Amino acid sequence: MIEFIVLMGIVVCFSGILALGLNFQWGLGGMVNFGLAGFYALGAYSCALLMLKGGFNTFFGALGAMVIVGAVCGLVAFVTLRVTEEDYFAIVTLGVGEMLRLIALNEDWLTKGALGLTGIPRPLSAIVPPTYYPYFLLALSIALVVACIWVLNRLARAPFGRVVRAVREDDVVAATLGKNVLWARVRIFAIGGALIGLAGSLHAFYYQYIDPTQFSTIVVAYAFMAVIAGGRGSNLGTIAGAAVVMLLLEGSRFVKELVNLEADQLAAIRIIIIGVGLILLLIYRPNGFLREYRLQAPLKEARTTPQSTKEVTT
Amino acid sequence: MLQTAFNGLVTGIIIALPALAVTLLFGVLKFANFAIGAMMTVAAYMVYALNTELGWPMLPATVAAAVVFGVLCILMDLVTFRPLRDRGGLTLMVASLGLGFVLENLARLAYGNSARSFAMELARPFRYMDIRMNREQMIAFVVATLAMGIMYILLTRMPIGRAMRAVADNPSLAQVRGIDSAAIIRWTWFIAGMLLAVGGVLIGMDRAIEPPMGSSYLIPVFSAAILGGLGSPLGAFVGALLIGIVSEMATLVIPPNYRIGIPLCVIAAILIFRPQGLFGQAHIRR
Amino acid sequence: MKRTGFSRRKVLKTLGASIAVPLAAPFLNLAHAQGAAIPIGVALPMTGNAGAYGPDMGEAAKRTVERINKGGGILGGRKLELFIEDSESSASVAANLSQKFINVHRCQSLVGYWGTPEGMASRPIAIQNKVVLMVSSAANAITEGGSDGYVWRFQMKATDWGIVISRAAEKLGFKTFGVMGLQNAFVLPIMRVFEERMTASGRKVLDSLIYNPEQPSYRAEVERIFGKKPEAVFCFGLLPDFVSIMREVYRGGFESNVVALSIMADAEGKFVQAVGPQVAEGIRHFQPMPDLSAPGYKRFVQMMGAPADRVYLFPPNTHDQIAMTALAMEKAKSPMAVDWSKQIIPVGNGPGEAVDDVVAALEQLRSGKAINFQGAGSTCEFTPTGDQIGRGMGQWIIKGGKSVFVDYAKP
Repeated sequence: MIEFIVLMGIVVCFSGILALGLNFQWGLGGMVNFGLAGFYALGAYSCALLMLKGGFNTFFGALGAMVIVGAVCGLVAFVTLRVTEEDYFAIVTLGVGEMLRLIALNEDWLTKGALGLTGIPRPLSAIVPPTYYPYFLLALSIALVVACIWVLNRLARAPFGRVVRAVREDDVVAATLGKNVLWARVRIFAIGGALIGLAGSLHAFYYQYIDPTQFSTIVVAYAFMAVIAGGRGSNLGTIAGAAVVMLLLEGSRFVKELVNLEADQLAAIRIIIIGVGLILLLIYRPNGFLREYRLQAPLKEARTTPQSTKEVTT
Repeated sequence: MLQTAFNGLVTGIIIALPALAVTLLFGVLKFANFAIGAMMTVAAYMVYALNTELGWPMLPATVAAAVVFGVLCILMDLVTFRPLRDRGGLTLMVASLGLGFVLENLARLAYGNSARSFAMELARPFRYMDIRMNREQMIAFVVATLAMGIMYILLTRMPIGRAMRAVADNPSLAQVRGIDSAAIIRWTWFIAGMLLAVGGVLIGMDRAIEPPMGSSYLIPVFSAAILGGLGSPLGAFVGALLIGIVSEMATLVIPPNYRIGIPLCVIAAILIFRPQGLFGQAHIRR
Repeated sequence: MKRTGFSRRKVLKTLGASIAVPLAAPFLNLAHAQGAAIPIGVALPMTGNAGAYGPDMGEAAKRTVERINKGGGILGGRKLELFIEDSESSASVAANLSQKFINVHRCQSLVGYWGTPEGMASRPIAIQNKVVLMVSSAANAITEGGSDGYVWRFQMKATDWGIVISRAAEKLGFKTFGVMGLQNAFVLPIMRVFEERMTASGRKVLDSLIYNPEQPSYRAEVERIFGKKPEAVFCFGLLPDFVSIMREVYRGGFESNVVALSIMADAEGKFVQAVGPQVAEGIRHFQPMPDLSAPGYKRFVQMMGAPADRVYLFPPNTHDQIAMTALAMEKAKSPMAVDWSKQIIPVGNGPGEAVDDVVAALEQLRSGKAINFQGAGSTCEFTPTGDQIGRGMGQWIIKGGKSVFVDYAKP
């Protein structure tokens, strides 16, 4: 039982990193990525292929995946955002995501198509004894989550983060102030992409077998749910959101014992609950259960120094 | 080759109505509705129920379902999108994603995963000018063109249409002039709902009825609307036909399983060269 | 901030409750203790691509276990306990399920696994945990690379399907072919073998293409393949795409003979239901199937409460998987896979007395006799690499809205 919790913990971790990527792109950067599943697949396949065909070890495999997905995301942002129509951007990301999945499915000389890639190595599997390996992988995953959150928080607090938020709130004003809006957006999308690539790599390490069916569009709904539940912009909240979504999904399997429904009806109900939950959260809890950190600071400052001339970092 | 072009025309006519709905919704409500695929699916199932379970012929079934679905769309807007109206297009898009999942799985809940068909006789084709055509395609052409014509008259000649265009163009000014934007929004959803319902029926006639049927059309429909210029109904119609023809003709040179890439490339080209689409107005960003 | 009803405390309470439920469940099950129920994990596609096939397999599993338990269970009266879960036709879900079966429910036997990705993802997990995995999928890759005797295929290998179908095609006298395949793990080996053999025997494959699932339309594919007017078009895929394709074929007025697999062209009658008898007329379909005349199969149909002429393609495999698990456990006198995985071949291949009723077979084993189990889906004979031998394919043709049986052939 403990082992199962450990394994689910690992899944929560890389799902969380995926959600962190989306949170950075959408929550912080205001760019909707409906093609998330395709980029996730790109990350997993890049990592796996770099290792299996390129002979790289797991560290460089994951790094390579991060670079590749980050670069592709940056490219998409660059080509698309020269005309800043957010609605177009969503459909473009959807399309790119679909194309990536199609390529994974059809180019079987590269990806083995529907058969998938097997025998994906795991980090340090030669050193860690097999009985302890799940614990090691969990520790590694948690460490990576913490590292990502730390990096993202630093970015959010840094000048780059202020530019990002300024662009998100009002890009015309930001442009007037001399900020290079396009470049900021490209970087945001690319960094988010790197996180997605990392999540994909961990996914590949964990399952040791990847095929196109693992990256279906419902992944997008789960990720959005996690980000919204945790509060757009809040990194810790996103991870908590990912854990909640995972619990919902696994917990709902047990409902089967209690309710007398067909399995496919139950699966449909699960997704309906996720969709309804998404909408309800958007309406009633737009900031999720935890808030974006920035809202705390000005309140505190305002209370102590009402006449403060300090720059309000909003 | 002529046959392929004709096939493309057929594909195009099928996506014309949903493209029209998308462009209307975008014009008046200012967001891209990603639930339209699932909406068409639900409407198609409604017609299926009337057609196969109650035994109604296709025409009355479609009309009845279209009206009911139009009303349903108004309700869905009330529940899902109205509370989010002031949050901006992005939030509405994400909400529409959620709505799409809900609708598709409601259909799955009610009817399961198996593919179904309307209770109508499939016809063998006839030849005209060396091109194979069949009766269903003719019906699709007639229906879509009729719908297009009605929409055109509605939008240009009738007061409701002018009001819709006013709200699309400048909502606050329209309000100042006494146009009840809430009522206009309701009408927009109703009309879009009817268009989506008929679109769903055409899709259901073309291929099988199954839960994912609508979502597979999302990309072609949106690219048609974008090609034509989001907000321009004529553009949506023309864009749909073009997308259809280009997609089918492209299969002569590229492997058919990558056909979905064509609408994408079209979007990319539009974005780079002419973001307002063929018939849209170039507008200054805020 | 407004004080709404959603206080943080309430949220934590709800979270806690939803954690408690999944945590509590397994602690109520003390597997492998004396007299305790023996858990078997069943992963079946109830939703997704292959969702149409899962429910019947689940029903077969339930009834088989019921029969065995009523007949006295195994290992001194211990009952079998099933955990049936939806694999959602997805590899990652199946992998998570397999982990759950092993770590939470302590299953030593994982059965079901209809789709190739589900089996492929669970393979390393089963081998690592020294637990038996019994799949019902066709792709050759499942049994390739050593499995230490833990992976067993209750189905005909994909390449064998290609052999049988191509032989039948030769017998039917078609000279020119078109081939269409769904981008799917088991289709490609079938297509490859088929095309190779047809070309080798001097027949012409005019064109062949692969298509994706869930495409908006298959018009272009149909146009390309059928437009060249081959005598026969061989189509390998799944039900939803086949429905769209055949409607397109009919409406296009194409005349070629159509040959498909039964999972597409029959699917327990759903195909004809979806397209109507006119469109379906004349379609031939193949599928590995049980020997309908075998007593084991007849007994199975009775157990399912179906009319005697009912054709079940996959559920008999599920029955066999559970039966073989029970028999091997009984013979090894142990519920642990390390012990009984070695008894699968002795129980299935013999030498011993041929017996097709699992309860009778259990009794035989308990009295120390050797058996050669004849299952419902096949005779349950295995190669050392875990593949089943002796399976055949059925051939049907649809006439007047019904599938009429034509032939039964082995590779």
